[in-house]
Amino acid sequence: MRIKGFILCLLLVLGISMPGRADIPDRPEPQRLVNDYAGLFSEAQKAELERMLVEFDDSTSNQLTVVTVSDLEGYDVGDYAVRLGLKWGVGSKDFNNGIVVLVKPKDGNSRGRVSIKVGYGLEGILPDITCNRIIENDMIPHFRDNDYYGGVRDACITLMKYAKGEISVKRDRSQEEDLITLMLKLLVFMFLLYVLVRVVGKHSDNDGNLGGGSGGRRVIIGPMGGWGGSSRGSSWGGGGFGGGGFGGFGGGSFGGGGASGSW
Amino acid sequence: MKKGLITIAVIAVIALALFGWVKNSYNGLVAGEEKVESAWAQVENVYQRRADLIPNLVATVKGYAAHESETLQAVIDARAKATGITVDASNLSEEALAKYQSAQGELSQALGRLIAVSEAYPDLKANENFKDLQAQLEGTENRISTERMKFNETAQGYNTNLRSFPTNIIAGLFNFEKKGYFKAAEGAENAPKVEF
Repeated sequence: MRIKGFILCLLLVLGISMPGRADIPDRPEPQRLVNDYAGLFSEAQKAELERMLVEFDDSTSNQLTVVTVSDLEGYDVGDYAVRLGLKWGVGSKDFNNGIVVLVKPKDGNSRGRVSIKVGYGLEGILPDITCNRIIENDMIPHFRDNDYYGGVRDACITLMKYAKGEISVKRDRSQEEDLITLMLKLLVFMFLLYVLVRVVGKHSDNDGNLGGGSGGRRVIIGPMGGWGGSSRGSSWGGGGFGGGGFGGFGGGSFGGGGASGSW
Repeated sequence: MKKGLITIAVIAVIALALFGWVKNSYNGLVAGEEKVESAWAQVENVYQRRADLIPNLVATVKGYAAHESETLQAVIDARAKATGITVDASNLSEEALAKYQSAQGELSQALGRLIAVSEAYPDLKANENFKDLQAQLEGTENRISTERMKFNETAQGYNTNLRSFPTNIIAGLFNFEKKGYFKAAEGAENAPKVEF
């Protein structure tokens, strides 16, 4: 019985470590929509693409992220794109309206691979056939000529045209301000609670209560440390420059819809 | 007199705490089971989506490669078999899942052979309808692997909760059962088995 339990535990541990292989890149810091890990674009092209995609995110709330990698780490290209989309949480939680465009360039003998994966919320307007056509018509002809930027740009323009028709909600920046006021309120509340605990602790003759007081203090500090490290906090950093930066990924989900191609 | 009151109060507090604990554990398990079942519904959805594509695919291939009737028939048979096996969402045991997976795996293999055979027919490969069907099929296979991954993760969370102390006491009391998992890729079926 004990051995059985041990084996089950072992299987569980293996089960955890297998799907979550750590080789899909972490969410970029600061968060951005164009992530050219394979170095296919020039600085100017990256900035242009990022500007276009951030504007699209702001005006319609659809998040389109472009990622290039030089190695798929043994994953199928579509599988890689889905896992990346899930890990980063591309798209909003309410709409699941993220799109991942993943490009692995042709390199010597290995074929170039590309995948477009759309979140649940956009599967209706961007069915697999449409994604496949975008890959075949907008991307691969450019990629064959080594024009990676042209292919990605054209695909993004087409994708945006479709996605806009499905979900077009202007991003409400005041929501972030709401969060700030909420945090301030929380801070004030914690401070008051802290004072209260201290006062009660002092006025009580019981030693045990004093201990409780300092314990309460630790609890109060705990969650504050957690907030500072949260992704929300870091996404403000992204929004800081120029006033028009990317606000951060929203936790959207993917079901594997979309298409992939190779050349 | 006072002592009796205190005893009653203590018993009441203990009873209340016990009730709270049972309630939380039980409701946690129910919520977990609910999540696993909805993940399962998604899995069935995407497999159904694949089954729905097949008649169209078979008809298209038939138009160009009629004498591949053996391969075509294998797909039709495998589809009939796979759609015949359904799993009751309230009984997602290891065996039920394994049976479901092996039937769907056979269909995957038959489909794989059909696609491989179609490579030999340039006219078929150039057919727009066939291209679209292939793109849809590929997207559906991708959806299947994604939903399976999500199901496994959900089932794992539930199983871990189920087997953890002290929730396992409640689980045993109310007959909550462990959920099965999908095994690794279907192609890995021929890989050497590791027996414990």
